Amino acid sequence: MTLTNLTIYSTFMMAMAGLTLHRTHLMSALICLEGMMLAIFIGLALWCSQMDSMSLSINPMALITLSACEASTGLAILVATNRTHGSDLIKNLNLLQC
Amino acid sequence: MAYIIFLGLFGLVFGMIGVASNPSPYYAAFGLVLGAASGCLILSGFGITFLSLILFLIYLGGMMVVFAYSAAMAAEPYPEAWGNMSVVFYVLFYCVVLGMGLGLVDSIDVLSIVGEFSVVRSDWGGVSVLYYSGGWLLLILGWVLLITLFVVLEVTRAVKYGSMCL
Repeated sequence: MTLTNLTIYSTFMMAMAGLTLHRTHLMSALICLEGMMLAIFIGLALWCSQMDSMSLSINPMALITLSACEASTGLAILVATNRTHGSDLIKNLNLLQC
Repeated sequence: MAYIIFLGLFGLVFGMIGVASNPSPYYAAFGLVLGAASGCLILSGFGITFLSLILFLIYLGGMMVVFAYSAAMAAEPYPEAWGNMSVVFYVLFYCVVLGMGLGLVDSIDVLSIVGEFSVVRSDWGGVSVLYYSGGWLLLILGWVLLITLFVVLEVTRAVKYGSMCL
């Protein structure tokens, strides 16, 4: 496994562990999701570069478009949570069972 | 160039450690910006300049929205204006960076013409395939973005009906 490979994998796994294990704010969880998307984007772009194939570079573009959709929907949920419950703490959401 | 790529890889992992170690969202967003900038460095080091530009504009632009939202929740009491010495320092710094960058990218072009033949760089040409033969994909992606606009409007409104109706 080369150094680049290891970096992409470890970035993704670290962001996923951070999303899974212990989050205080809902916003930190959204930022971890964005970190996972960043790792996938860099992996796809390096893949189509190392394969020397032109038409594979469509895939990172489609991925980053869907990533923008995901980020905006997550932020909308964050804003809605902030307005109905007063804060975006995960513990608070667990306590209120919502 | 290998050392620059190594620096980018190190910055990517380092920024993601900063995100995953559960700081307050203000600093977590800063760590993600660091990671995205390092990703741009990696991609441009491997020669994928157009996707690096896309990552810098769209991804960092989207991150700036998150970052501005966090900064609005923790606003600073004494913002810096144009008259401060630090702003003047940054203006001089960016002028120096601009001069160095101009010397760096002077000989790089998208289209290389050698005699009768011309060569297009692979990432620019590859992305332009999306607008040439990937018409349905482009249409679907645009439709998804439009749907997302209405999803966001519907989630955040609380007038008569919607997700926040009390």
